[in-house]
Amino acid sequence: MSRTASGLKAWALQRATAVYIALFSLYLLFLMLLAPPAGWAEWRGLFSATPMWVGMLLYVLAILLHAWVGVRDVLIDYVKPFGLRLALLALVGITLVASGLWALQSLILVRLN
Amino acid sequence: MQFLVSRFNPERDDKPRQQSFEVETWRGMMLRDALLEIKRQDESFTFRHSCGEGVCGSDGVNVNGTNRLACITPVSELNAPVEVRPFPGRPIIRDLVVDMSQFYNQYRAVEPWLVRKDPMPEQEILQSPEEREKLDGLYECIMCGCCSTACPSFWWNPEKFHGPQALLTAWRFLADSRDQAEEERLDALEGPYKLFRCHTIMNCVEVCPKGLNPTKAIGHIKQLMLKNAI
Repeated sequence: MSRTASGLKAWALQRATAVYIALFSLYLLFLMLLAPPAGWAEWRGLFSATPMWVGMLLYVLAILLHAWVGVRDVLIDYVKPFGLRLALLALVGITLVASGLWALQSLILVRLN
Repeated sequence: MQFLVSRFNPERDDKPRQQSFEVETWRGMMLRDALLEIKRQDESFTFRHSCGEGVCGSDGVNVNGTNRLACITPVSELNAPVEVRPFPGRPIIRDLVVDMSQFYNQYRAVEPWLVRKDPMPEQEILQSPEEREKLDGLYECIMCGCCSTACPSFWWNPEKFHGPQALLTAWRFLADSRDQAEEERLDALEGPYKLFRCHTIMNCVEVCPKGLNPTKAIGHIKQLMLKNAI
């Protein structure tokens, strides 16, 4: 990472995560439409199978990274005062990390129970 | 036909105002002709113009909300009242004349000339027809500024974001087989501002009076950067 925030890395990351999010969202959508799990037991079985579990983990990670780059872009465009921008970036960062940890907790619980 | 033109005299006015003029139109009349007619009615009215045929790029103005060259805009295409304003986002010097310094600074920043590291040959450096073809759609830019001043990213960060015109020029030299500074040019564009403030809004493509496509050029630069990075 250079002195300034990254340009190419952020852009490439946003593009790559967008592809994964789009494909996995479609997969989840079709799954829920065509073969919705009936009841908690079936739901748990579906999401605790290793490929699905890893897929979900990556999905959460991709959304967090994608959201970070996108919101950072908006803040760089519109929020000029340094203090305010820093505060907002920190707020967004903390929110995203907290959301990620929460999602991770749910995923772990699905596997344990 | 009614024209509402923007007036601003820095010695007298706090902010620009719209002044109404009635102009008699004729077949084939261009907006520049109408502006000249307005100047005949009020000689204090100020705007830039020169060649009158879309080559010099001096008379870019905002007409009914769109950046265009007055000299190649037929008034018959416009809905009355025709609102003529200076380019958006630029400091106004007087009436329709704006300060384009930041635009030229961004152009200068991309080093718009061929860089050669090999010793200069005795004769000219030849290009194949295919190599020359890569410059089509890039070299035609007349630097009127319609694109960059229509770009929201340039409005928000004109001192840091190069803007579509300078980035089109950057690609024009990156795409030139005779240029030997690819790495340096790409390095100079890194960071979140100079290139990556472009969010493919594509106002630039819509307004370019020469029909050029800066967004496509910017896409090529990003691709080349990615290719050289992995």
